[in-house]
Amino acid sequence: MGTVRLALPWQSRMSAAPRERENRVQPSQPLASNTSQTAANPGIDDAALATACLSGDLRAYERLYSLHGARMKNLARNLLGTTSDAEDAVQETFLKIQRSIASYRGQSSFSTWTFRILINTCYDARRSRLRKKEHSIEQDDTTKTPRPDPRAPGAHPSLRMALERAVATLTKHQRDVFLLYEVEGFHHAEIAAMLEITETASKNTLFQAKRNLRQLLEPPRSSAAGPR
Amino acid sequence: MTAMNITCYDRNRIFEDGSSAEWTALETHAASCHECAEELRAWKAISAAAQEMRDYAEAPALWSRIEQVLAVQAAQQSKQRQRWSWLGNFNLTHLTWQAALAGTFAILIALSSFWLYRHETRTTNTAADSHLLKNRALAEVEHTESAYTQAIDKLAAEAKPQLENPATPLLSSYNEKLQVLDSAINDLRTQASLNPSNAHLRYQLLAMYQEKQHTLEEVLEMKR
Repeated sequence: MGTVRLALPWQSRMSAAPRERENRVQPSQPLASNTSQTAANPGIDDAALATACLSGDLRAYERLYSLHGARMKNLARNLLGTTSDAEDAVQETFLKIQRSIASYRGQSSFSTWTFRILINTCYDARRSRLRKKEHSIEQDDTTKTPRPDPRAPGAHPSLRMALERAVATLTKHQRDVFLLYEVEGFHHAEIAAMLEITETASKNTLFQAKRNLRQLLEPPRSSAAGPR
Repeated sequence: MTAMNITCYDRNRIFEDGSSAEWTALETHAASCHECAEELRAWKAISAAAQEMRDYAEAPALWSRIEQVLAVQAAQQSKQRQRWSWLGNFNLTHLTWQAALAGTFAILIALSSFWLYRHETRTTNTAADSHLLKNRALAEVEHTESAYTQAIDKLAAEAKPQLENPATPLLSSYNEKLQVLDSAINDLRTQASLNPSNAHLRYQLLAMYQEKQHTLEEVLEMKR
């Protein structure tokens, strides 16, 4: 894989201040109208939403979709590569939530539980796709892997594609943590609950993921020399 | 407020889990350290590039799709619930039902224990009876055998003079035969004393006695 200089398209956009969790661009910003309602007391809303879903109210599911649907679809797309697969995964996730809502005991937040189901669904879909691919390769050697769908205009295509390819080479855990933290904007505590790991493990995995990406995308110019 | 002292060696630690103050100190350090400045820039660039992987475009058709399949699944779940709803009439969580179930189990356990106890006792008694009968049968066999031996010994005593001085070669061969039979009888009696319940040995012993009896009868016939 060729290397791409990361700094070029973003240097002007980045602030000089250190990147803190509080300063992170919140993924739910495009859904500000929805999230603002939950901002006052997200815990109560989360529990109320779970209760409403348990009662079988379809409007509760619609609310869950309006709160997290876009982020779910984006995460699924980054894990699966195509929009159609991502939409199927989100749909399957909602069906699984409806089927197993009675087993939700509130150990983690409802949204965390939802995303955990989504991640598992995505990996099930990946495995299923891999099996189909192996089967089709046996039948036809000319089968090609699906190419990722084009994204929304405005993104820097070459760097984004390079990053997507680089992310695909990460380990499963590194990819999950990187996407959840850097792309979807979850905190380490939330990621830890979703992936059933510790917060420290989440931080360490993110560090390893970024270090690998750094090597893949832009090998350090003075890699031979250690820190002074 | 004193400035935090950060070196290049702290960089990776801060990248992994640095506090806000440490990040600020690293920025200050990077202003005078080209390598740290470069690493910091690349590190932030990855985070910035990750934002480009975010696409929250509206997908109104997706919710309609999801809503439809949810409605279908809800209907199926409702049907399944109705299928098992008759169980709800019993209100199994009610204390009375729980007590009744517990009582039924207790009665079942008590009956089972009683039956097992009775069955066990009866089996033990039958086994003991069979043991007694066995001993009784053995005593009877031994008693009969003793009487039979005594009767044969009487015959042997009658035939003894002829056998001690055989007048003919036939009597000599009868004498030899009887000696062989006595030897076999002694062997069998020894084995039977070691294993008194062995019916097979008893039958063999009986056959030997019968053979001895017939031989002695034939010897006595010759006398007449």
